[in-house]
Amino acid sequence: MSLEMNHVYYTYQEGSPAESHALQDICLNINEGEFLGIVGHTGSGKSTLIQHLNGLLKPSKGEVLIDDIDINRKDAKAQRKERRMRVGLVFQYPEYQLFEETVELDIGFGPRSMGLSEAEVTSRVQEAMALMQLDYNALRKQSPFDLSGGQKRKVAIAGVLAMKPKYLVLDEPTAGLDPMGREEFLELLGQLHQQGMTIIMVSHSMDDMARYAQRMIVMDHGKIQLEGTPREIFAQPVKLRELGLDVPTLTKLLLELKQRGLDVRTDLFEPQAVKAEIMRALKAGKEQVTC
Amino acid sequence: MLKDITIGQYLPGSSFLHKLDPRTKIIAVAVYMISLFVVNNFWGLGAMLVLSLAIVLISRIPLRFFFRGIKAIVFIVLLTVILQMFMTPGEPLVELGFLKITKEGVHQAVFMGTRLVLLVSVTSILTLTTTPIALTDGIENLLKPFQKIGVPAHELAMMMTIALRFIPTLVEETDKIMKAQSARGADFESGNLLERAKAMIPLLVPLFLNAIKRADELALAMEARCYHGGDGRTRMKALQYSGRDAIAGVCCLCMAAGAFLTRFI
Repeated sequence: MSLEMNHVYYTYQEGSPAESHALQDICLNINEGEFLGIVGHTGSGKSTLIQHLNGLLKPSKGEVLIDDIDINRKDAKAQRKERRMRVGLVFQYPEYQLFEETVELDIGFGPRSMGLSEAEVTSRVQEAMALMQLDYNALRKQSPFDLSGGQKRKVAIAGVLAMKPKYLVLDEPTAGLDPMGREEFLELLGQLHQQGMTIIMVSHSMDDMARYAQRMIVMDHGKIQLEGTPREIFAQPVKLRELGLDVPTLTKLLLELKQRGLDVRTDLFEPQAVKAEIMRALKAGKEQVTC
Repeated sequence: MLKDITIGQYLPGSSFLHKLDPRTKIIAVAVYMISLFVVNNFWGLGAMLVLSLAIVLISRIPLRFFFRGIKAIVFIVLLTVILQMFMTPGEPLVELGFLKITKEGVHQAVFMGTRLVLLVSVTSILTLTTTPIALTDGIENLLKPFQKIGVPAHELAMMMTIALRFIPTLVEETDKIMKAQSARGADFESGNLLERAKAMIPLLVPLFLNAIKRADELALAMEARCYHGGDGRTRMKALQYSGRDAIAGVCCLCMAAGAFLTRFI
């Protein structure tokens, strides 16, 4: 069971002089239970790619499979719709999609349009709010527009979670949040992942990626340029900078130290490992000096 | 569907028409319209056709832009032509039961059809060769004399500028919200009229909300930069007539005079 993209091409305004190839020959396999990070500078095709994952955009060429069913094939419409529901897509600044009078109604919009019974909708709203650590009893009757920015975002994401997607796709979910909100939010995502949800996250922040992603793809000009574990990706700082990106802050620190003559490994990014490595290098350096 | 709208589209270039002062162009279009309706025989119409073609060529704008503009009004042109053809009383040419095509009708139909097509083509040249900002500047400047009788020239121009500025933003945002709601299972494409109207709520509420919020922010940003209306405001690009505008003005006068003269042929 997986999300699969086979040789997907997507062209904006095909046939006109303004034609642009947003995606070119994308082959991607996202396994169930994975935490995949997608990075790339603005305009590299990240957002176009994730919109293919639940059929909002149809590939100009190639196919997108959700659990082995091609979601753009003409036959079996109901089945395709059900498959698409398995992928929950959270757009950038999702709080802009809130529209209902109360938090409860807004979160219930997704499940309700899936045609579930009211009792089922309510239980799903409760579940989703619990996942997002929102207090059901305190917030259900409130207008979503009266909430703080961070809470609005949580409500918006709960609205997607209430549809019980197997795969959760998030586009820059921490953009515009304050450091505390950001931290809290990433924690939540990490927990969702531990509970077995497949998470696909688009982000500019290499630090976030370093902490949570199990596998990363780096996009540029509509193509997948690099693919691998964060360690493999961050071991290529030159290539990353060529693509308009950077390495995590701590890796940057190691690179800087190395440049100034301290003999350290530069393929680390976890705080503990980096600390240990610097300590080790310092100690080794001292011994050399004393020799 | 939204990106097919060509009204107000500007195509950068450096032709004679691009460099003209916007005021000259606005007045010229007005004179052109009057001339177009003043001519009443085929000689005059032929001359206007040639003149319009010349203007199109001078503008150096690819012809397909005009075709696209004309495609949008094809229905109106056809309707006009057909109505004129059948409804004008006079000497019958063909009779089909109670319908009859008259000589005068054909004459009228050809005239009205050509006029409409020319009108749309030439007015679209105005927007195609003039940036929206220059256009509103020109309008403001031309409306200035009427300020004394209470026409809010500056405010009108500012409103136009802002409206034009935010069209693409709103289009983009509509697209984004539609996608976000579709991802939550909203269905904009099926159902009867009532269901469809109801399906617009998840789209319209966030759209209006954001528009109002944006207007608020814009007002604040303008105030922060000491905007206080049009009085005493100077411009970075002051409008200035040049030799080109004199040439264009003379051409316009010739066109208008010619149009009146053709009535006496």
